[in-house]
Amino acid sequence: MLEIKNLHVAVGGKEILKGLTLAISAGEVHAIMGPNGSGKSTLSYVLAGREGYEITGGAITYRGENLAELSPEKRSAKGIFLAMQYPVEIPGVTTLTFLKTALNAQRRARNEPELDALAVLKLVRSKAASLNVPEEMLKRALNFGFSGGEKKKLEILQMALFEPALAILDETDSGLDIDALKLVADGVNRLRSPERAMLVITHYQRLLNFIVPDRVHVMAGGRIVAKGGKELALELEAKGYGHWTKDAA
Amino acid sequence: MNAIVLPNRRIEDWKYSDLRNAVDESAVAAAPTAAWTMASVEGAADIADLPAIMPRGEHGAMAELAIAAAKAGPYVRVAKGERAAVHLHLVEGGHGRALIVVEDGASLVLRETVRAADFANIAVEIVIGKGARLDHVRHAPQHDTVQLADYAVQVADGGQYCAQLMNFGSKLARTELHVVLEGEHAEAVIGGAAVLSGTRHSDVTIHVDHAVGNSKSRQSFRYVAGGHSRAIYQGKVTVRQRADGSDSMQTAKGILLGERAEIDLKPELEILADDVKCAHGAAVGDLDADSLFYLRSRGVPESEARSLLIRAFLEDAVTGIEDEKIRSEIWSAVEAALPAAMEPAP
Ligand SMILES: Nc1ncnc2c1ncn2[C@@H]1O[C@H](COP(=O)(O)OP(=O)(O)OP(=O)(O)O)[C@@H](O)[C@H]1O
Ligand SMILES: [Mg+2]
Repeated sequence: MLEIKNLHVAVGGKEILKGLTLAISAGEVHAIMGPNGSGKSTLSYVLAGREGYEITGGAITYRGENLAELSPEKRSAKGIFLAMQYPVEIPGVTTLTFLKTALNAQRRARNEPELDALAVLKLVRSKAASLNVPEEMLKRALNFGFSGGEKKKLEILQMALFEPALAILDETDSGLDIDALKLVADGVNRLRSPERAMLVITHYQRLLNFIVPDRVHVMAGGRIVAKGGKELALELEAKGYGHWTKDAA
Repeated sequence: MNAIVLPNRRIEDWKYSDLRNAVDESAVAAAPTAAWTMASVEGAADIADLPAIMPRGEHGAMAELAIAAAKAGPYVRVAKGERAAVHLHLVEGGHGRALIVVEDGASLVLRETVRAADFANIAVEIVIGKGARLDHVRHAPQHDTVQLADYAVQVADGGQYCAQLMNFGSKLARTELHVVLEGEHAEAVIGGAAVLSGTRHSDVTIHVDHAVGNSKSRQSFRYVAGGHSRAIYQGKVTVRQRADGSDSMQTAKGILLGERAEIDLKPELEILADDVKCAHGAAVGDLDADSLFYLRSRGVPESEARSLLIRAFLEDAVTGIEDEKIRSEIWSAVEAALPAAMEPAP
């Protein structure tokens, strides 16, 4: 589904990703762990198509297409979803209005019929209930004044609503209390299917107890320096990154 | 009329609005008396011609010219304790004069629209009595002429002046407000927006004078400038000596949509008293790139995302309009003006 080959990416003229290779097949859940500043969020932004992230080498292929050529909105319509590490606060745009606008924009781009206000409301309500997101939150401005955990929950609510083919979760677990973590993990697990793939970026092995990955990658210095099964996460938790970062340097 | 000298950009106060470049002195000298119609009058408003003896507030240079030249004009009065709503519509340009009096404890919703397709230069006196309230909504649609309007507003004890200035620009458009808070607990809440496209211009120049203490003023403006347009906000607040307990706030924000557009925001404070609460801020920028990316990454196409963010930015400027009908009308005008303002420059 996603194939990243020898990817080099520069931000503001500085090379951050330095030959990253990674492949995820449909039906799989991959986890990326790695020290602060190793380039995890950079990778997630490049996949979502953020401006200012210049691909200086290598290639990203998503379902056979060259991803670099697609705008962020096209990628979204084609099923890529990034739950951001730091969701953006947008005053003046009501959360519910935004959800409706985004959902229908994606549907329009896929030539699917748009949903009317009532249908969207019903859908959002059911997803919100399963994530314990109070309805009052949906009436507020998008992410505006939301607590760290509330923002993360809203990201997962969007994932549940959009049902992406490839979901990238960038530290969605950071800042969540234990109950919220379980709700989020349930949300992710509900979405697991043979057609979908997920890339879960995290610092904590704990999340991987709930969302059990098929593969675990260790990222350091802008590339993947080790990979393994779910037991690799446990090993990392026990030993830290020291061993790998020395390798990368 | 004697030979007149029009303000030009060498005069500090007119730096961004070079009137001499925009209109001929002879055309200004020859301009007739402007004409208004009362598009609607509700409640207890007395409508008459201007009285022989007029109250005179502080005005800008061009208003003096209007005062000297205008032969007649409307006088709207709401008597003590009464309520009214009046819609004044400027139908013909020229030099104009008007007087609005809201007596003690009375309230007026004054809606002002402008159709003048020719040069207009109006001077309006507004007197707000004790505990009285004026809601003033001025809607200046797109024009290609020179449009000048100058208001001198006096607010007595506990009186409230709430103004909303909506500008869509003209060849040169300038609205001046000179507000004097003359009584304790007098209040001025002034807000507005400009949505400009093409080569249009809009200048809002305000002076709020806290003449006595415990008075309050608020100013809040939101500008969106596309194409080659230019939006100006000059807002000065003076707190007089011994006007302690005065409370003022000024914010002005602008978003540049056109590469050749320009927004000049100049909030200014002159504080002569000791114990005051005054704040001001101004910022001009592009649309927030992070917000834009967030929306696009959720599937919202770029143009729609931009428009969503601009609307959110401008919506703040119209929430101050209390009359729901007027608010929705103004909002429709904003929506109608946005596509042109968002158009990439030719
Ligand atoms: N605009 C930028 N200009 C220069 N350097 C940048 C820019 N953005 C990010 N970087 C640098 O790129 C590196 C990778 O950042 P990134 O956010 O991808 O790390 P991360 O692995 O997600 O870290 P964390 O675990 O702390 O979230 C960091 O050293 C960061 O300072
Ligand atoms: Mg990160």
